[in-house]
Amino acid sequence: MTEVNANASAAATRGTSDAASPWVVRMEGVNKWYGEFHALKNIELSVKRGERIVICGPSGSGKSTLIRCINQLETIKNGRIVVDGHDLTAGGRNVDIVRQETGMVFQQFNLFPHMTVLENCTLAPMKVRGVSKAEAEKTARKFLERVRIPEQAEKYPAQLSGGQQQRVAIARALCMNPKIMLFDEPTSALDPEMVKEVLDTMIDLAKEGMTMLCVTHEMGFARQVADRVIFMDRGEILEMGTPDEFFGNPKNERLKIFLGQIS
Amino acid sequence: MPLIRPFGINEFWIIVFAAQWTIALSAIAFAGGGIGGLLIALLRVSDAKWPRLVATGFIRVFQGTPLLMQLFLVFFGMNIMGFAINPWLAATVAFTLHASAFLGEIWRGCIEAVPPGQREAATALGLRYYNRMRYIILPQASKIAVAPTVGFLVQLIKGTSLAAIIGFTELTRQGQIINNATFSPFLVFGTVAAVYFVLCWPLSVLARRMEIRFSRATTR
Repeated sequence: MTEVNANASAAATRGTSDAASPWVVRMEGVNKWYGEFHALKNIELSVKRGERIVICGPSGSGKSTLIRCINQLETIKNGRIVVDGHDLTAGGRNVDIVRQETGMVFQQFNLFPHMTVLENCTLAPMKVRGVSKAEAEKTARKFLERVRIPEQAEKYPAQLSGGQQQRVAIARALCMNPKIMLFDEPTSALDPEMVKEVLDTMIDLAKEGMTMLCVTHEMGFARQVADRVIFMDRGEILEMGTPDEFFGNPKNERLKIFLGQIS
Repeated sequence: MPLIRPFGINEFWIIVFAAQWTIALSAIAFAGGGIGGLLIALLRVSDAKWPRLVATGFIRVFQGTPLLMQLFLVFFGMNIMGFAINPWLAATVAFTLHASAFLGEIWRGCIEAVPPGQREAATALGLRYYNRMRYIILPQASKIAVAPTVGFLVQLIKGTSLAAIIGFTELTRQGQIINNATFSPFLVFGTVAAVYFVLCWPLSVLARRMEIRFSRATTR
C-alpha cells in the first residue's frame, strides 16, 4: 500500500503517469520552425529503454534538431515530447530533470577549456547533483578509465587530441549517470585516424545497454550497433527500420539516393 | 604679497598631489561601474525581453550623450531633487553610471564572444543559469574582457578631468587654481597633462600586452 502510494506520488511529482512505460523517449506530432523554415515535420518517434537508434540523412535534414529537442536545447512549436515519464512540453521542473538524465556529446566536443579534464567531469555532478568533490572525482576517474584516458585527468582540453577530447566529453556526460545518451555527429569533426577510438568507446557503451540516439554518418557503426536506423530529409522521418532492412532493402527513393551517395 | 606668484616647486607638488583625487574618483567609478556593469551586461544577455530592453536603453543613453552632460544632469538633477550641491557625490554617481553603461556594453560583447557550444554543453549537463554563468561563461568571458576593460579604465581616468567643471578639485581643477595664481598656463597644464600621462601610459601598455597575449592564446 505504501509502495503504491509512493509510486503514485512520484508519478505525480513528475507530472505524468507513464514513468513505468517501456518508452524512454516519445515524440508525438512534433513540429518546429526556424522562422519560415519548417525544420521538423510531424515527428513521431518512440524509443525503448536500452534501444540504440542511429539517425542519418543529408545535412540540413533536421536530424541534429531532432535530438536537440530531446533535452530542449531547441524548443518546439507544437507536439509532445516525453522523456522517461517527464513531459517536456508541460514545462516546470521537467526540463531540468530531463537534462540531468540525458547526456549529450557534440560534434565540436564543447569541453570547458578553462578547466582540467577532471574538473570538466566533476563540475555538473557537484553543482547539479550535490555530490561531494571526493566522490565526484572518484566517479570521474572511473569513467575516464572506461574511455581509456585516465592518465589525462590533470590536463587541459587544448593539450589533448580531438579523439581524446571527444572521449573526455563522453566521460563527462556519463559522470551524470544519464539514462539516455545523445550523440550529435560525434565523429564529424575528427581526423580520420581518430574516428575509430571514439566509435569504439560508443560501441562499448552500447554493449553495456545504454539507451543511445546517435546522429552520425558512420554507417559501419549503424550496422554494428543500431537496433533501428532512421532516415530523415527535409524535416521528416522518411524511413525507419532495422539495419538489415534499412541498408538491404531501402524503400524510400531519397534514401536509396542517399545510400548511393555515401557508400 | 604679489598678486601673481611664480610657478615653483611648491606649485608643482600641489598639482602632483591633486592626482590622488583623480585616482580616488577613478577608483570609485571603476569599482562601482564594475558592479553596475556586470549587472547591465547580464541583463543585456538575458533571455527575457524587458531586462534586455531596460539595459539597452540605459547603455544607449550613456553612449549617446556627452560625458559632460551626464555630469551636469546628475549634478543639477540632484540639486532639484533636494540634495545639497555636492561635487563629490555628483561626480562619483555620474562616473559610476557612466562606467556601468560602458563596461556593461564591453562585457556583453565578451559574454557573447564565448562560443555558444559552451552554454549548450553546460545546459545539457543540467547546469542552470547561475552555475552556467558563474563556472562556464563568466570565467571565459573575463579572460577576453581584461584588455578592453583596462583600455576603458584609461578613458575613465582622462574623463574624470571633466569633474573640474562642477568644482570637484582633482588634477585638472587644481591646475586651474594654480594657473589663476601663477598665470603660467603652459607650464601648469603641461604638468597636469604629464601627470595624466604618467597615470595612463602604463595602463595602455598593459592593455596592449594583454591583448597580444590573449590573441596568442586564442590562435594556438
